Order: sequence, then C-alpha cells, then structure tokens
Amino acid sequence: MKLQHTLGGLENLGPVNVDPRVFVEPWEKRIFGIHTVMMAQSAHLQDALPRYPVGTLPTTFKDTWTWASLRTGAEAMQPFEYFKYRYYEKWLGGIAQFFIDRGYISADELIELMRLYREEPAAALPVARNEALQSQVVDYLMRGDSGLRPRVTAPRFRAGDSVIVADPPAADHTRLPGYLRNKRGTVDRVYPGAFEYFVSTGPDGLQGAMPVYRIAFDACDLWGVDLSEPRTVVHADLFEVYVAQGAS
Amino acid sequence: MNELFQFDADREAISAAKVRALEALLIKKGVIGSDSVDTVLEHFEKVAGPFNGARIVARAWVDAEFKKRLLDDTPKAIAELDLSQGMEGAEGEHMAAVANEPGVHHLIICTLCSCYPWPVLGLPPYWYKDPVFRARGVREPRAVLREFGVPVAQETVVKVWDSSAQIRWFVVPERPPNTEHMSEEELAGLVTPESMMGVALVQLPSPAAT
Repeated sequence: MKLQHTLGGLENLGPVNVDPRVFVEPWEKRIFGIHTVMMAQSAHLQDALPRYPVGTLPTTFKDTWTWASLRTGAEAMQPFEYFKYRYYEKWLGGIAQFFIDRGYISADELIELMRLYREEPAAALPVARNEALQSQVVDYLMRGDSGLRPRVTAPRFRAGDSVIVADPPAADHTRLPGYLRNKRGTVDRVYPGAFEYFVSTGPDGLQGAMPVYRIAFDACDLWGVDLSEPRTVVHADLFEVYVAQGAS
Repeated sequence: MNELFQFDADREAISAAKVRALEALLIKKGVIGSDSVDTVLEHFEKVAGPFNGARIVARAWVDAEFKKRLLDDTPKAIAELDLSQGMEGAEGEHMAAVANEPGVHHLIICTLCSCYPWPVLGLPPYWYKDPVFRARGVREPRAVLREFGVPVAQETVVKVWDSSAQIRWFVVPERPPNTEHMSEEELAGLVTPESMMGVALVQLPSPAAT
C-alpha cells in the first residue's frame, strides 16, 4: 500500500495550510510552464479527439507525457519526502529526472548550468523561439484533450445500484482513492459514453475507454459512525474497473 | 508541517537555479522554444482564471433559469455566456457545477493529486494541493471548513466532491443577502476562488473598507 494512494482520511496532520497563493515562489511558474508545454506536445495527442499534429512539430520531444506521468512519479516518492517537499518542488524533481532518464539532457550538464545560474540568477535564457510549438501550446490549452469515447460495452451498473468498490493490487499509479477500497456506495450517475485515461495502469486496471460512475458514499460507511461527521456525503467519480460488484 | 524537516538554507535559490538551468537546456536542445513557457503563463492571465467562474456565478445569481441549466449541463450553459474561447480546453473538458443552498454545503477536493477546473478557476491555490487539506477534507470537512472560517450548521448536509476521473467540479456559492441593488458585474466582483471551491462564503465588502 502506498501512502500517496491513501492520503484521504489520514489522521493527526494538524491544521490545514491555508496559503491562497498559486505559486509560493516565482520559480514555480517556470516548472508549471515546462510541464504544460510537455503535455501540449505529448506523442499521444496524435490520437486525441482534435488530431493535433504533434508528429510533425519542429521539436525534439518525442515522448508521451500526460498527467499520469507526473502523478506516477509523485506516487513513487518515498512518503516522507513526499510530505517534505512542496507541490512544485516535487514537479521539478520529477520532471528534471525524466529528462535525464530519457536522455534529453545529462545530469552533468544540468549541474554545470545550475552552478552558473546560482552565481548569476539573472543570466539570460537562450533565445530560440518556436512559433509552431507556440501555436500547438495555445491550441492544446484552448481545445484540451477529452477522454470521452464511444461506449464499447454497456455499463454494468445503473443509477441507484448499491455497489462495493474494488481493491486492486497497489500499482505504480492509480485513480482509485485508497479510502474508498472495499467500501459500499450508491451509483448516483452513470456518465454518458466511456472515458480513456490514455495510459494503462497495469494490474490496477485502467486500460482503454470504460464507463465512469459518480458514486455517493455516506461518511459513516467510510469512517465508521464514531469517526464521521454527521450528514456528510462523499462523491467520487470511479472508472468501471474500480467497481467490484453490486451489493445487496 | 514543514518545520518537521531539515531544509537547505538556500532551498529556494537552488530550485530557482535548477528550473532555470532546465529551461535553458530544453531550449538549447529544441525540446521547447524560448517563448513556450511564457505562452502557457499568459493563458492563465488572459484566458483561464477565476474571473470566468465569477461571471458564471453572478449570472446564476441573477438568472434562475440559467442556474438550472448550469447545474444540469455545465459546459452547455457556460457556452451561452460571452466568455473567452477555450472554456472546454485543458482541464475543462468535462466540468460540473454544484450549488450551495440553505441546508446543503459543497466542498471540492482532489485527494489523489490536484484536479481543478482550469478554464473557470485558473490554477489551484497552494492549500488545495497540500497533503493536509487533501487528507482531512474527506474525513472531517466541517472541521476543515471551521479552520477556513466557515461554520456549517449541524443540520446542513455537507457534500464533498473528490475528483478522481474526468469531471472537474466547482461550486456556485450562495448569493449574499442585501445585494439586490447590485449589477451582475458588481456581483461578479464579490466572488472569490475560495468561494467557488466551497471553503469561503461570499461576503459584501465591510463598510470600513469601502
């Protein structure tokens, strides 16, 4: 079991940090931007609903980079480290390592250049505009990447059904919040169509397009009566593979 | 909770140098252009942001029929408004609104990461991404709301929306009392991102501040 899959419900963490800033430090904007440019030219967008021309873009980036890539990295972290570092610190660590692992850059040249920017924080970035990529970034942000696909199989459950959530093996990545595993809930909406997550999560079960359900859980069924606040309902959208069976 | 950990004194300077070095190398190697990151950031200043959500909420307050359509088919209702193109763009492909009302209070959360309706709310504030909110919001939403200064009555039903698949949720907060004289534009000016996430009520500016 992974802590990052099971954050919901974790006790004794103390008060919520209520910092309303999006970017706590100015440098965080840059890693957010780098990530989003990667998303906008991910190889899988060739098959997106708007058939983005990523195959012919003048770029050396040739990988698939979706939310799953970033999340898988965060979920692979040592849990104490996950808590230690701020949100965008985790992004920076994960994304820099990805570029090293995939051979786009070397660890040595990154360290070398870091030294330069430590000494001269205001030193300029190289200038090499890429207008075709710029249009693709704008196009991706404006039109997105919907996972909606036609249904191949009929949904196994209907609105109103009482269901039990599945408990698949803990894999590298999941979209099933851990606190819902094995819990009983009620389907309150079957979304039209089927939805892709774009990548497979292996033994966890996401693969191809499948129906998605909006499921309502009474807090007492999640945490027990004593640990629950009264009159509380938690809703989650779950891919069909995460719904194990109908409950009586 | 960061005080539990030891950090380098120059923690931020190291990260700042690292991200700059990374961006420089990616430009040099042709992975991104020198204008790419700025293009992304500009999108969140001009196109996607809480200014859109505020206008949607204000319209819902002044037009009950629009509000009904918004809750029924959120993207279709949003398309009626004269907002920028791109409201079904990245992280807004499938958005859904829920409305606070007497007796029902909604809270949005993403316990697994930080899913958020970018076109209408922009990028999420730090607290939404912090593990403490994500851990506690689903188990003790009332206690969390108290920490945000929002008391929820015992008899009120709290509905928490955990984004784990395609839907990105946002909240239509309740219209504050004594705002009948205000225009739709003035009303939009009252709506904060936090109120559209369910952790704040919409309030009139205090007389002292005006």
